[in-house]
Amino acid sequence: MNVTSDRSARHPPGAGFLEHFGKPVPRERGDFTWVYLWGAPLRIMHWIAAVCIAALVISGLYIGRPYFATAGEASSHFMMGKFRFVHFTAAAVIVMTGIVRVYWLFAGNAFERLPALFPVTPRNLLNMWRVVRTYFNLHTEEQPHFIGHNPLAQSAYTGVYLMMVVMVVTGFTLYGQSNPTGIIYHSLSWVPALFGGLQIVRLVHHALTWAFVIFVVIHVYLAVRADYVERAGVISSILTGGRFVSSSDHFEDLDLSTGHPHPWPKE
Amino acid sequence: MISPSAYPWAEGETLGQHLDERGIPRRDFLEYCGKMAVILGIGSAAAPRVAKALESVKRPSVVWLQLQECTGCVESVLRTENPSIGDLLLDVISLDYNHTLMAGAGKAVEKAKTDAMAANKGKYLLVVSGSIPTKENDIYTMIGGKTARMQLEEAAEGCAAIIALGACAHWGGVQGARPNPTGAVGVRDIIKNKPILVVAGCPPIGDTVTATVVHFLTFGALPEMDREGRPLFAYGERIHDQCQRRAHFDAGQFVETFDDKGAREGWCLYQVGCKGPATFSPCPIFKWNTRTSWPIEAGHPCIGCTEPYFWDTMTPFYGRLPDVAGFGIEKRVDTIGASLAIGAAAGVAAHATMTVLHQMKRRKATRQVPEATEDEGANNG
Repeated sequence: MNVTSDRSARHPPGAGFLEHFGKPVPRERGDFTWVYLWGAPLRIMHWIAAVCIAALVISGLYIGRPYFATAGEASSHFMMGKFRFVHFTAAAVIVMTGIVRVYWLFAGNAFERLPALFPVTPRNLLNMWRVVRTYFNLHTEEQPHFIGHNPLAQSAYTGVYLMMVVMVVTGFTLYGQSNPTGIIYHSLSWVPALFGGLQIVRLVHHALTWAFVIFVVIHVYLAVRADYVERAGVISSILTGGRFVSSSDHFEDLDLSTGHPHPWPKE
Repeated sequence: MISPSAYPWAEGETLGQHLDERGIPRRDFLEYCGKMAVILGIGSAAAPRVAKALESVKRPSVVWLQLQECTGCVESVLRTENPSIGDLLLDVISLDYNHTLMAGAGKAVEKAKTDAMAANKGKYLLVVSGSIPTKENDIYTMIGGKTARMQLEEAAEGCAAIIALGACAHWGGVQGARPNPTGAVGVRDIIKNKPILVVAGCPPIGDTVTATVVHFLTFGALPEMDREGRPLFAYGERIHDQCQRRAHFDAGQFVETFDDKGAREGWCLYQVGCKGPATFSPCPIFKWNTRTSWPIEAGHPCIGCTEPYFWDTMTPFYGRLPDVAGFGIEKRVDTIGASLAIGAAAGVAAHATMTVLHQMKRRKATRQVPEATEDEGANNG
């Protein structure tokens, strides 16, 4: 049991707000250093994508099933038109974030590069299992600690990237239908054939919307939970780019003595 | 329609001479050419060119095969606009064989067909409506003692080009829908070495066929086609983008049921399953039955009949999206998606509660650690 990596033990429950209200907060132990993890492009794209996904889901659900109607003359309304405008604009912006992210797969640090997307070593599969157990509050003493993403989180994020690719391809296929002489229509003309018809493309695009909703619910929850349980500052890291670590911390993916990152240990 | 006996088009006579003989005013002919030029998308300024080409045309030969089908396509083509010339072009003057319309029967008409094919070898236009059954050695359709495949291959051999007319000749039609018991396929699956144009639809609009024939006669070639083989002059735009109810779509005004206020107001049929956004067809422009109306104008959603495999891919006709298999009949993707999302939110709430309780217990347990350790400095061992 590696007590030192358990931040809850280091920040003893005595550090609760009520017990210490009006009293000096106990001095932190260990020498803390700030480790810079996520480059500015990654963080900025994360938040742009977050806003876009919110806009895309809300407008997409209206386009898929208009949940309210307008009354009166058609000429005095443009409700669907506005939702579609928001949807297509957000789609273009999220494609931009995707392009930056692809660039960053090659220009980023060890935790951001392409190989980091695929936690496929045997040790990581074991760690993934341990993370799952931890989420059920079982064998928490065996919880592996990661300065970057744990293998389960990384698998989810890689899955979301793939979902985004499918969403962009199917979405632009549907968008391109309005201009059958245009480049979008022609460059994506293989998509309906691949899916077995435009309606299936539409169905996949629609169904994956819900997958994003589900992802956001779980993602936000687990991020908040990690901060609450582990007090590791992960939410802060997507704003500032870094986390505080103590020299006594032990991470699976970072050798603190040498500062050498190794996202997916093989041994 | 087939009444050529009164004014047979003589061998060597041009269409111009023949129309004169039949007493068709030249003004009508030019008007017809202008309309055709517009339909073909080459502009009314090209009308003289069309007229010049058409009037010098010598009697073209058209052989029309009807294979595994319902004859709906013939019915539709009968309803072309301006029948005095449209009928002439397509039927009277040129149709050497069509077993629904011709008066003759039996061996005599089979002979008429083979004679026409032999006499016009390499020049005649072959129109095919109906699918070709391929299961059980093609036995599901026999005409004149030959299977549909034999009829088609024989007629395709010497033709200049093929017009595959209707959904059946396009991809198999309703008999080609799952589970396709007869193994019905379209013309393009059998004939690979001829130019094939698909006039899609179940049935297609007659004007599309006559316009294609006019194009063939004027330019000696089939018009420009899309990936499906459909002529772009007719199938180049989505129904959704030409629709007279489009303003209601953009405004957010939708028919929810067929008897609601929106239906009476003529609002958009998107919510009752209109497949206009996935369907390329000239219906809103050409309309049906000599420009009388068309489905969406009449208040019925488009069923997407010009798209391949529409019986499988466009169903349910009154639902926006395909049914999701395995989740019951009425469960649509939104029901499933929303249930999963609510399930995820509930799971998160339950999990959060569990985590908080667990942490409280754990921290309470750690709190039993003597306070003394609190101030003993770094105790990270």
